[in-house]
Amino acid sequence: MSIPELLIQDGFITQADQEKIDDFSRRSGLSYIKILLNFGYLSRKNYERSLNNAGYVFKQIREEDYDLDVLAKTELKFADAHLALPLRVENNKIVTLMANPDDELFIDYIKFTYDMEPEIILASDLDITWLSHVLLGQKYVKSAVFELLNRDPDSSALTTFTTPQLIFTFGLFAAVVIGMMLSFVNTSIIINVVLSSFFLVSIIFKLFLALVGSRFELHQAVTREEVRQVDDDELPIYTIHLPVYKEDKLIKKLIWNLQSLDYPREKLDIKLLIEEDDDKTLNAVRNLDFPAVFEVIVVPFHMPKTKPKACNYGLHFSRGTFLTIYDAEDVPDTDQLKKVVTLFNKLPVNYVCIQCALNYFNRGENFLTRMFTLEYSYWFDYMLPGLDTFDIPIPLGGTSNHFKFEFLIELGGWDPFNVTEDADLGVRAYAKGYKVAIINSTTYEEANNEMFNWVRQRSRWIKGYMQTHLVHMRNPVKLWKKVGWKGFLGFNFFIGATPVTFLVYPLLLAIFICYLMFDLTSIRSFFPDWVLFMSIINLMVGNILMIYINMMAVFKRRYYELILFAIANPVYWLLHSWAAYKGLYQLIVKPFYWEKTTHGLSKVNNQAVPE
Amino acid sequence: MNLKFKIKLSRSQTLLIITLVIAMYYLVCGIYLNSLGYFNQETLFYIEKVRIIFEGLGYKLKVIGLTAPALPFFATFAFTTINSLLAPVIASALGTAALFYLMASTLVKKTDDDFYLLLLIILFLFHPGILYTACSGKSMYMALIFFYLFFLNIFKFYTSNTTFHISIASICLVLLLFCDYKFIWLTLFFIPLIFSIALQSLNLAEKESIFRMTLSFNSPSLRRKLINKTFALYVILFILPITSIMLYKMLNLTNANDADYFLNSPYATWTVLAERFSYERVALNPDFKNPEISLLISARMIMFCPLILFAIALFRRNPYQILTLLTPFAFVEFLHIKYDQVFLLHQYYLIFLILAILCLIIKAQPVKRVILFKSVLGVIILVQLYTGYYFLSNSLIDDEKNFITILKNREVDEQQDENRDMANYINGLPNGSKILIDDAVAYPIVAFTNNIADLTLPYQENFLSAIESPRQYDGYILIANTKNLLAGYTILNSRYGPVMYQTGNNYSTLQKIYETDHWVLYKLF
Repeated sequence: MSIPELLIQDGFITQADQEKIDDFSRRSGLSYIKILLNFGYLSRKNYERSLNNAGYVFKQIREEDYDLDVLAKTELKFADAHLALPLRVENNKIVTLMANPDDELFIDYIKFTYDMEPEIILASDLDITWLSHVLLGQKYVKSAVFELLNRDPDSSALTTFTTPQLIFTFGLFAAVVIGMMLSFVNTSIIINVVLSSFFLVSIIFKLFLALVGSRFELHQAVTREEVRQVDDDELPIYTIHLPVYKEDKLIKKLIWNLQSLDYPREKLDIKLLIEEDDDKTLNAVRNLDFPAVFEVIVVPFHMPKTKPKACNYGLHFSRGTFLTIYDAEDVPDTDQLKKVVTLFNKLPVNYVCIQCALNYFNRGENFLTRMFTLEYSYWFDYMLPGLDTFDIPIPLGGTSNHFKFEFLIELGGWDPFNVTEDADLGVRAYAKGYKVAIINSTTYEEANNEMFNWVRQRSRWIKGYMQTHLVHMRNPVKLWKKVGWKGFLGFNFFIGATPVTFLVYPLLLAIFICYLMFDLTSIRSFFPDWVLFMSIINLMVGNILMIYINMMAVFKRRYYELILFAIANPVYWLLHSWAAYKGLYQLIVKPFYWEKTTHGLSKVNNQAVPE
Repeated sequence: MNLKFKIKLSRSQTLLIITLVIAMYYLVCGIYLNSLGYFNQETLFYIEKVRIIFEGLGYKLKVIGLTAPALPFFATFAFTTINSLLAPVIASALGTAALFYLMASTLVKKTDDDFYLLLLIILFLFHPGILYTACSGKSMYMALIFFYLFFLNIFKFYTSNTTFHISIASICLVLLLFCDYKFIWLTLFFIPLIFSIALQSLNLAEKESIFRMTLSFNSPSLRRKLINKTFALYVILFILPITSIMLYKMLNLTNANDADYFLNSPYATWTVLAERFSYERVALNPDFKNPEISLLISARMIMFCPLILFAIALFRRNPYQILTLLTPFAFVEFLHIKYDQVFLLHQYYLIFLILAILCLIIKAQPVKRVILFKSVLGVIILVQLYTGYYFLSNSLIDDEKNFITILKNREVDEQQDENRDMANYINGLPNGSKILIDDAVAYPIVAFTNNIADLTLPYQENFLSAIESPRQYDGYILIANTKNLLAGYTILNSRYGPVMYQTGNNYSTLQKIYETDHWVLYKLF
């Protein structure tokens, strides 16, 4: 009895399912076992249960011996597609790991390639995937790490500081020191005026952008009616990357979130990207007792161990016309993929990426999540649409950015050495003349609800902004020519100025508080009244405007209960400053280190998606 | 025949040309009136402060940062290089033309019918109140601009329900407050309106407001929603104005040791003395009967601007808009109670005109019986021109009455002659002669002097020392004599130490060298 017949007999799948799988397999070229286990027909547990009952024995294979010469004749993609791997020659047979011992195509492949009969060892598809990627994935993982560096070294963050940048930085530092030695007061005044004016200008510009963004808040890039008119048969294959690391607690939630996506199952190409050493997540997948709709890709070990490297690796195995990335805890709007496809069809061809809004499902959990929600509401609902309107490069958000696959490949994928690879990619796309659009669809994430975890995450983001700024400002004139003055200023304001603002903020605030509380005469002697007058105006107006922008954003989202929390922003920014100093330190000592954010800490049910 | 087709101009280009013509018209009128000698207290105050900034010596930060109202004051900066005496007039002329452009551009977007534009042009060309705004050099033009933008965005918010419009409204209110602080009280009268908006926005099957309210209050979740939304709306609209004012007060506190310096100090704002002086001069007359009586204020506003009744009629089926239109009535009634020792300035009448025009702009869509509608409207506008003249010519405030008199008679105004005479005498003093002047009351004289640097004024750090021992710092002192009604508001009056000493002991340390009806200039020995 064949395995499909066995499964039907055991009642795990129906005849109709079987026909569907065969039909899908014929159309897509995917193997039977791949479809069975990765497209929501059968859980791994039930598959193993059925085969065990029939007398099959699943073996643990990680410690199996292998012969590199045998392995060299098999292409990873082929092995991965069939969930099978030839390991070695033994007793004049090829010892072959197979998740589906009925796979005639692979058996024929063994016979023709090695001119020997296969000695089949039945193993879990996950173990075969793990072993095949670990043994055969080196070529791809090297490509994932070095592709951008080889193709466009100027865009790679492998070198953090170039020599001219170091000369400039130390030159500026020296100039300040010399200035202070020659005239301490005047130099202090100049620094104060420059910093506080920069602070204010940057915030006024943000207010302006937020107002522009808010003007289009009723604009629907894609309407519900348009989504309703989408013909499922004409939808392209959609790849979803889910880079995870030790997210075993979130796997079940992830399945539910993915199953609620309104997109034909057969046209989804969902890749769960698991690191080689991440047995926790792999076992969590193994222990799922219901059918899953994703395929596991194991990323072989290679430094740097970053999310962009995992995503680059996943690109080699992706089939979609479009591609997006979600985090494990993400809850995208159910019609998001259809909306994106519709918008891509409406937009000119040079639009290569669509960014969705991000927001939080656990916004009311504690102070930190409330503040995070305020911040994200403002950033994704107002800032990005504002930037979009003015055609300024958009620093892409960490997830829910949807790409045209071919352009992603053309751009060289993500920079694995950059810890905010998304922001970097947005700028690189812009520099090549491509555009990013914003869409009226939201992905709800889990807001960080623990302070140290928050600081870790934020320090990585801020470090990434610093990295991105340093990479693209290696040759400012070249950047200016590529992105134009608007793009150049926008890039410097949003990528470059953000870390600077956070670094400077506590200093200015400290001076201000000292001035208010102690009425320090020494401060008065450093700064003449006009400087203090101007600085106080800048600081206060800047703070008030930023608070107001945050209020606007939650007002738009109708999170009225959060509106007063915007007043706490000055405190929240101090946390940013903490993260910024940590990020700066890491930029110098370990620039590629990926500060892992722990997810799944929230006690709020992510199914309770707001409005 | 339509002119714009013959010369092939777009509607917006035509509008721009009309605006330029109106701006020129205002400039010509304003400069002409100026040449006839028309000045008012506010204009002179700005001229003096701007000249201090550009020509004065010493600590000018307080003058720059704390002179109120701040925005109109800053607006005159740009035109000071052309002519410091004309700068406020140029600013008000261009500003009023800008107001016309803003209103007309909204109008042409709403309707293609040029009749309404024609009415607007007529109002802006001939309405005495608007001419007063444009040609007097006062800051009303800016208050009216931001008042218009505030209400325009509030009305837009009712239809669009976007954060954009309510945020812009809030920003306009901030700017309005920095043109006229008294508009802060407008926030009080928006409370019921905002509550009504929040109530209407609740997703309830019940349509009647009273039942909606009953339902909302009896359900904990709806009650929470209602309160949250009302509060959020109020915050989003008014937190920016309120915090801006708090910040400004803090700046006043840190720089002048008085949070209300910009409101109460005659060195910071012209209104403190001018309004009180104007009121006292009239109100102390035993035969005086104040026409501004509570509740009748609203009636006066309707008399001044019958168009507002027309506007209310246009919105009779829109409760928000009606409530919004009633808000300024409550506001002026409140002003009358709160500031009972001053008369309502003409700008508080004009806000009703602006509001009525705004309603007309918003509702200027085709209606039934177009000819009747336009005829009634035309007649009301003509009546409006007359009431504008009537109210200005019967104003209790000197500056307003004086303006319309000069405009009508085109005769030379002699009100500032005394100040000019004194300034001319000061100008004729030998170079380097230092004169001690308190510009709390003497700013009109300072405005007319040629060399601000020769004057010792309160903004300078040595002013107090100069008051203590004038001979060490100055050669002359300008004193407000006993006839000067403002003498009580300055230290440099006839009770000033050195003057008293001189009078009492006949000891000749001072010599009266020039005297006008209200001022005496002493030379110090």
